[in-house]
Amino acid sequence: MRAKAHDGETAAVHEVEVEVSSWALSFRLGDEPQIWRFSEIEVEPLGDQVRLKRRGQGARLTVAADDWRAATAADAAPVARRHRRRERRLVVGLAAAAAAIMLFVFVGVPLASGPLARLTPPPLEARLGETYAAQLQFAFPTCAGEAGQDILHAFGDRLEDGMDSPFNILVEAVEAPMVNAFALPGGRVLITDDLIAEADTPDELAAVIAHEAAHVEQRHVMQAVWRSLGLGLILDAVVGGGTGAGQQAVLLAGSVTELRYSREAEAEADARGQEILHNLGFSSEGMAPFFRRLAGEDRRGERAAGVMEFLSTHPDSLRRAEASEARAQSGAVAFTPDEWRTIKAACEGEPRAPSAD
Amino acid sequence: MPESMAAPEAAGTPLRLEQRAKLSSYLGLSLKNGLLNLLTLTLYRFWGKTEVRRRIWSSTYLNDEAFEYTGRGMELFIGFLIATGLTAVFLLFVFGVQLLGPFAALLILPIYVGLIALIGFAIFAAFRYLASRTAWRGVRFHLTGSAASYGLKYLGLMLLAGITLGWAWPFVERRLAEPLWANLRFGDRPFRFSLVAARKENVYGPFALMWFGAVVGYAILLALAAPWLRWAAQSQSMTDPAALAQLSHAESRLGVLFSLLFLLFLLISLPYRAAMMRSVARGIQFDGARVRLKIGALAVGWLYLGNVLLLLFSLGFLMPLVQARSARFILNRLVLEGGIDFAAIHQSPESGPRQGEGLADAFGLSII
Repeated sequence: MRAKAHDGETAAVHEVEVEVSSWALSFRLGDEPQIWRFSEIEVEPLGDQVRLKRRGQGARLTVAADDWRAATAADAAPVARRHRRRERRLVVGLAAAAAAIMLFVFVGVPLASGPLARLTPPPLEARLGETYAAQLQFAFPTCAGEAGQDILHAFGDRLEDGMDSPFNILVEAVEAPMVNAFALPGGRVLITDDLIAEADTPDELAAVIAHEAAHVEQRHVMQAVWRSLGLGLILDAVVGGGTGAGQQAVLLAGSVTELRYSREAEAEADARGQEILHNLGFSSEGMAPFFRRLAGEDRRGERAAGVMEFLSTHPDSLRRAEASEARAQSGAVAFTPDEWRTIKAACEGEPRAPSAD
Repeated sequence: MPESMAAPEAAGTPLRLEQRAKLSSYLGLSLKNGLLNLLTLTLYRFWGKTEVRRRIWSSTYLNDEAFEYTGRGMELFIGFLIATGLTAVFLLFVFGVQLLGPFAALLILPIYVGLIALIGFAIFAAFRYLASRTAWRGVRFHLTGSAASYGLKYLGLMLLAGITLGWAWPFVERRLAEPLWANLRFGDRPFRFSLVAARKENVYGPFALMWFGAVVGYAILLALAAPWLRWAAQSQSMTDPAALAQLSHAESRLGVLFSLLFLLFLLISLPYRAAMMRSVARGIQFDGARVRLKIGALAVGWLYLGNVLLLLFSLGFLMPLVQARSARFILNRLVLEGGIDFAAIHQSPESGPRQGEGLADAFGLSII
């Protein structure tokens, strides 16, 4: 059959006559006789032509597709089958690798995050917490009311007696435009000014602080740090600059896993927080009413409770209210009326300037 | 009589470039690549991308002979593994710095500046890989020069663009195109890039249109959004349902506004985009050949609009189709003037890097 040949040395064109045997092609390229075994030939279809190359060489043959089919009718099928088999193996291998990575990140790392968090040396976690606190200081400055802060500090110290925490619980009021409380790694608990304003009774505030202290004791924060490290690694490294769909799938899977774990952690912190209050003889009756009011806030979007529970970062407040109501015990009030007024006033006035403490 | 078998070809053979991709054939490929990407957590992307390139290259004809893409998915995959290792080291470093104390985080800042240079490095390395895996008539392309010095140049030029509030951007774009083309070789023959020729295309007029248009656009956006932002800040703890309904209404209006502004920015940037593409094409020279790109703002606009719609409605699945469509669009508007003595071109002594594009993939940089 006739073919156009390139010798792989120059960009010139040669017209050659190719002999086809049952196992190879033979032709002359310049002075060189060439023998290309079918097993070494790669075939690339180009419309009504095909381009042939011998693996690892620059030389090329271009022949009419019909000629090629006629010449290799018997031998082409195994080549195509081999190619399909190789691709199937590749896809199966990659899918297995993907499944292994998914298992590792969404099951392995979360399962390991508990033990990992417990194995993390407390000094290391404390140092991590200090770094976070220093960075948060710029967004959420500490409230200026020293007297109120002192009462909160004292309450944090008091809570330590009722729990089994490797850390000092350091409670601090901060200015932030939201009703919330945070536990940082290493024992720092931040309460926002809006939350202090929203709390109706000392019991409610005490319950929130005890809940956050329980997160610290159970090392939930450190667990979340480990989990996000795993998810971050997979997002940055595996999915990389890939297609949008894959990235979204990983993000969704990640947030669903995170939500499941955070819901478990919240429920655990509710129960343990109340237990800590009981250990110290404090009332734990403030938790339920506070959740009920938060639930009222949740409902302002008029969304169904089930949807909120599945997709919101605030797990269903009403359910948590019922659970904590069932566990609630009466007891001493955490703050005297005087102390309560002082705490309420802690965030009036300009916040403290960020400092490098 | 082997030499008489060589087809007679004049020393200055006129050149004709044609992209003959059948776009419908990319629908099936898009579906296959998309599904396999989902199944493999996008790990298949290296092989998918390779197949797209192979098809586009082999349907691009110079004087009736198809180009060839010789890259392999595995090479991209290995490049990715290397980049992943580097990324992991970097992430661990960032995490470790957090443990050093509150203000040690500032140590990371210079590294982020270095990342800009790394982007330049990645662009050059990816272009080098692409060139080395491109062949025509069995003769390879290759890119000489240093990716590291391109990275530094990239960093310097980006800083320049920043300092001049963007006004150096056309200068920057040409200077960044220059090393990519001036270092390119086909076989043993160098390409050249003539800044003088590239400057013959006026880009500053269209650029001024884009720059002032963007400033005016931002001003409008701020003027319209400011009352809304103030109001939203006040209604932080609002619980009144009527006010909330109003708030979400305002939010959706802001969304519409953003989309309109995005379209406006796209529209006013088209004349500049087209002019810069013409300018870079005009600077490219090879042997006796010169390049002209015959595209205007309107045509580029249609291309972009079509691409955006295809990607939007297919949730990104039709990326291969979009790439083929763009390649066909641009290559069929490239006119090659003058001729080339093909018989005098010898094979490149370099076979190129063994693996490719890892960093460019990590940054999401590769064009195709």
